[in-house]
Amino acid sequence: MRTPLPSPRDVAAPDGWRVSALHDPFEAHVGPLFERDAEEGARIFGFIVDERHVNGEGEVHEGMMLTFADAFLGGAANRAAEGKGCVTLSMQASFLKPARIGDLVECHTRLERKTRAIIFVSGRLSAGGEDLVTVTSLWKVLGER
Amino acid sequence: MSSRQVETSGFGAFAGPVLRDGGKFTFEIAAHHLNADDRLHGGMMMTLASIVLGDVAREAANEKQPGARVNPLSLNCDFVSAGEKGETIEGRAEVTRATRTVLFISGELRAGSRILMTATGVYSIKAAEEK
Repeated sequence: MRTPLPSPRDVAAPDGWRVSALHDPFEAHVGPLFERDAEEGARIFGFIVDERHVNGEGEVHEGMMLTFADAFLGGAANRAAEGKGCVTLSMQASFLKPARIGDLVECHTRLERKTRAIIFVSGRLSAGGEDLVTVTSLWKVLGER
Repeated sequence: MSSRQVETSGFGAFAGPVLRDGGKFTFEIAAHHLNADDRLHGGMMMTLASIVLGDVAREAANEKQPGARVNPLSLNCDFVSAGEKGETIEGRAEVTRATRTVLFISGELRAGSRILMTATGVYSIKAAEEK
């Protein structure tokens, strides 16, 4: 097992969460990111908004939301592909509501369809039970056709 | 024309810097922008697209209504090819249509002649006094 990359900031995991092991330098750069196990084997991901993640108006930058979504929708695609490498082909996001500093943003992922070469994953980013961003995405399984 | 940094605070600065010279945006891929396969991370690529499209949207809104702000409503990104460490990425975007309240923006990211990403975004326009 490779050693996870450190994040530039030390943020304690919220109660019931653990720190995600990150191997992508850019995810470590914006992290730490957190995860917890939910019912029925589902895994939920989270991050706590700090001043690195916001725009000039104090709202989470859409780039951060998409980075967070890409990290964990990609994880869902990778699990669906039974560990084979996957690359993002396309991602569509709708921004419903902003998040602010101190919010714990969660990402719930859902596998929509899997063929040998292509995987469809959707995601919902929320904070305090309110939806913030909905995402659909398309992934290519490397080496499959 | 000389270049200036786009988004000098917050996430745009933390993930960047992204420079703008006229209609051309530039960004250099450094080690911390990569994924585990040593390519430009998809999240960073979408962050770049959102900075380029967002700045063009902000500029278009301000030309009509000084002090106006824009908020992203949707962003669609297609990952056409991968970016490598050390490459300079060039971004461009244009206004497809502007109504009084909404902007349609379309843009792309390139490394030389190779397209990395095509992106479209819809932005709402908020007047200066509106919250």
